[in-house]
Amino acid sequence: MQPIQALKHLKTITAQYFSSAHMAKRNNKAIVYLNVFTPVELFYALDMVPVYPENHAAIIGARKMSQEVSPAAENLGYSMDLCSYPRCDIGSFVMRLSPTWGLPKPDLLVGSNGQCGTITKWFEVLSRMYEVPMVLIDVPHSGNGERDPAAERYVRSQLEDLVGVAEGISGNSLDQDKFKETIRISQEASRLWTRMLELGTADPAPMTVFDQFVAMFPIVSQRGTQEAVDFYSELVNELEERVANKVGALDNERYRLFWDNLPIWPELRPLSSFLGERGAGLVASIYTWAWSRLGVGEDDPFADWTEQYLYTFNFHMSKRIDMYVELAKRYNLHGFLYHSNRSCKYISQDIPEVRAAVTERTGIPGVILEADHNDPRLYTVASLERQIDSFLDLLAQKR
Amino acid sequence: MNGEHAWKPFRETVDAPMERARAWKEQTGGKVIGHLLPDVPEEIIHAAGALPTAVEGAGTQGTQAQAHIPGYTCSHAMGAIEQGMRHDLDILDGMIIPYVCDTTRNLFHIWNHCFPNKSNEFLRLPKRLDYPGAAEYLKAEFSRLADSLCNITGRPRDDEDLAASIALYDRSRAALRNAYRKQREQPAVWTSERVQTLFKSAAKAPREDHLRWMEALPWDEQSQDAMQRVPIYVRGKVWDPPGILDLFDKIGLLVVEDEMTTGYRGVATDAGSDGDPIDVLVRRHLSLTPYTGYHQQPDKLVSGFLERVQGSGAQGVIFLNPKFCEAAGFDTPDFQKALENAGIPSLVLESSSRGVSLEQIRVRVEAFREMIAEDLP
Ligand code: SF4
Ligand code: SF4
Repeated sequence: MQPIQALKHLKTITAQYFSSAHMAKRNNKAIVYLNVFTPVELFYALDMVPVYPENHAAIIGARKMSQEVSPAAENLGYSMDLCSYPRCDIGSFVMRLSPTWGLPKPDLLVGSNGQCGTITKWFEVLSRMYEVPMVLIDVPHSGNGERDPAAERYVRSQLEDLVGVAEGISGNSLDQDKFKETIRISQEASRLWTRMLELGTADPAPMTVFDQFVAMFPIVSQRGTQEAVDFYSELVNELEERVANKVGALDNERYRLFWDNLPIWPELRPLSSFLGERGAGLVASIYTWAWSRLGVGEDDPFADWTEQYLYTFNFHMSKRIDMYVELAKRYNLHGFLYHSNRSCKYISQDIPEVRAAVTERTGIPGVILEADHNDPRLYTVASLERQIDSFLDLLAQKR
Repeated sequence: MNGEHAWKPFRETVDAPMERARAWKEQTGGKVIGHLLPDVPEEIIHAAGALPTAVEGAGTQGTQAQAHIPGYTCSHAMGAIEQGMRHDLDILDGMIIPYVCDTTRNLFHIWNHCFPNKSNEFLRLPKRLDYPGAAEYLKAEFSRLADSLCNITGRPRDDEDLAASIALYDRSRAALRNAYRKQREQPAVWTSERVQTLFKSAAKAPREDHLRWMEALPWDEQSQDAMQRVPIYVRGKVWDPPGILDLFDKIGLLVVEDEMTTGYRGVATDAGSDGDPIDVLVRRHLSLTPYTGYHQQPDKLVSGFLERVQGSGAQGVIFLNPKFCEAAGFDTPDFQKALENAGIPSLVLESSSRGVSLEQIRVRVEAFREMIAEDLP
C-alpha cells in the first residue's frame, strides 16, 4: 500500500484552521457554529469564522479520546443512548480536554435539521451553555421527495432572513462581489471532491474510503476557501496519476465494498488494515457522497440551497435504495458493509429494509455491523472483525 | 349510568380499540385512519368522514419489529411496527405519521415498505415554532392533508364540515378539561388512572360517542380522600410503562398538570371558530406546549417549562423520557437544572417497556415521593 502524498498536508491544514479560529476574536472576526446543510459561503463572505462541532467531535473520536470525555456529559445527564458526537463535544467542553485546544466561543449558532434532528437539540444545549443566539433552518423534507412549493417558500425565507442576522452579529454587510467569489471557490472545492469520489470507480480504486474519511476535513470546514481548493486539486492530480498508472490503494484488490453510514472514527486504522490485509477495498460510501454536490450557482444561491436542502439531500429510504443500486453498478461492487450506528438513528434505522431491498435488486449481499461512530464502549472490534471475516468468506464462496 | 358502569365504555375502548373501530366501520362503511402521536389534527380526519384512531406503540411487547427497525429505537415507533406486523392494525385503511423527529421520519418509510397496501401519509410539521413563516407553511401542509384524506374517503372537501368537526373536538376538549379538574378536586373518585382512560379512549373512539359517554359520568359524586397526595407535574410523551398512573394513584402522587401528548397538553387549548377552519387549526397547533421534537429559542424552551411547572402548583416533576429519544434526552438536563435552581425536585424515569419493570420504577417513585413529602408544610 503506497500512502497518498497529498494527505500529508492535512495535519498542517487542520492545525492552521484551528489556530486561526482561536485567533478570530483577536482579529475582530465573529465565530459561527454550523452543520453541513447550512450556507457556509454566506458566512465566509461576511468574514465570519465557521466552526463545526461535529468535526471537533470526530477528531476526538479519531484520537481515541471519547472514552475520556464522554462520561463527563453522561454525568450531566446526557444518556449513553444519545448520539456520541454531542456527548463528546459537551464532555470535552466540561473537562476542558480537547485535541484542538477546545473550540472558540461562538457568537452565533446556525443549525439545519435537513441533516438530523439531533443537531437542533445539540445546538440548543450549546446556545444555553454559551448564552448565544441560535438560528434553526427548518427543512421539512417531503416523504418521497415530492415537490412542495410551500416548503420551498418556507426554507428560502429562513435562508434570506439569515443574512440580516449574520450581518448583525458580524458587524459587516454582505459584499456581493465577495459573496460571488466565495461561491465560486466553494463550487470548485465541491467539484474536486466529487471528482475524487468518482475516481474510486477505477479498477483498482486509487483511494479507499478510509482515506476519503481522513480527507474530509477541508470539504467540511473550509468549503469556500482557497486552502480547500488547493488541497483537493493536488489530491485529485495524484489520484488521476494513480489511475493512469493502474496504482491501487490496495496491493491486491479482491473485493470492492461499499460502506454505509458514518465511519467508526476510533477504529479507522485497525479496520483499514484488517480489510486491506484481506484484499477488501472500501471504494464508495454514502457518507463521503453526502458532501458532494454542495456547490451553488452565483445567480440565485438561495434557490439552489433550498433545492439542495429540501430535495438533493433528502436521503429518504427509496432514494437511498436507488442510489445504492446505481452505485453498485458504477463502482462494480461486490458487497455492502452497513454500519448500524447506534448514535445516528437518522441514517441507521432503515438499514434492515435498505439491505433487503438492495440485495433483492442487485443480488449483492450486505452485512449489518452493529457499532457506534464515536463511542468504543458500544461495540467490540473483535466482533466486528469476526462478522467481516464471515462476510468475506461468503463473498469468496460466491465467486 | 353511575358507579363503575359509567366508566365501562372508556375501558372497553382502551382495551380493544380496533374492535371499536371495526364496529364503527361495519356500521358506517367509513374509513379508519390511524395516526401516530403527536399532533396530527384529528379534526381534519373526522371532517373527511373517517374515524381517527391514535396508535400508541409504547407498551407493546414483541419480537417481529426487530427485523425491520433496530433495537435502539424508541418503543413508540417500534411498537407501532410490532402492532402492524402482528395484524393488530389490519382494520386501518390508512396511517398518518407526523414528522417530529428522525425516528418518525424513518418510521414513515419503513411503515410504507412493510404495509404498502394502506394509504400512508407523512405529515411534515414545522419544527421552528417561533418563526413567522411556520404558520403559512403549516397552513399549506394541513390543506394538503385535508385534500389527501378526502381523496381516500371520497368525500368532497368542505369548510363547513371542518368547522363542525372543530366545534365537536372543542366540546370534547372542554369535557376532558373538566375531568382533569375533577382529578385535582376529587382524586379518590377521579383517579389519574380513570381520567387518563377518558383521555386515551377519546383518541380512539368516535368522538360523538365519547362525548355522550362523558356526559353520563358521575360528575356530582363526592368522596372523602383519606390520602395525603403530593402534587406533581409530568413531562413526557405517553403514559408508559402501562400501569404508571395506577402507581401514582396508589402511592399518593397527584398529577396536577402534564405535557403528555395523550394527556393535558392535548386538551389544554381549544381551536375556536374565529376564521378559516384551517387557520384556526394552525393557530391552535402553534400555541400548544412545544413537543420535545420542536424548536424555540433555547432559553425560552427552558423558561417556558419552568413557568408552566411553577404555575401548576406542583411540588415536584417527573420526566417520563422514552428510551432512545434524542430530543427528550437532550432537553432534560437543562430542564432539570432550571428546576433545581428554582428549588423544585425532579426525577427522570426512562420509559420503555423493554427491560424496565414497574417494580423497579415503584421503588424510585416511592423514594421520590417521600423526599418531596418531607419538604411539604
Ligand atoms: S451522527 Fe447522526 S445523529 Fe449524530 S449529529 Fe451526525 S447526523 Fe446527527
Ligand atoms: S420524539 Fe422521541 S419519543 Fe417521539 S417518536 Fe421521536 S424518538 Fe420517539
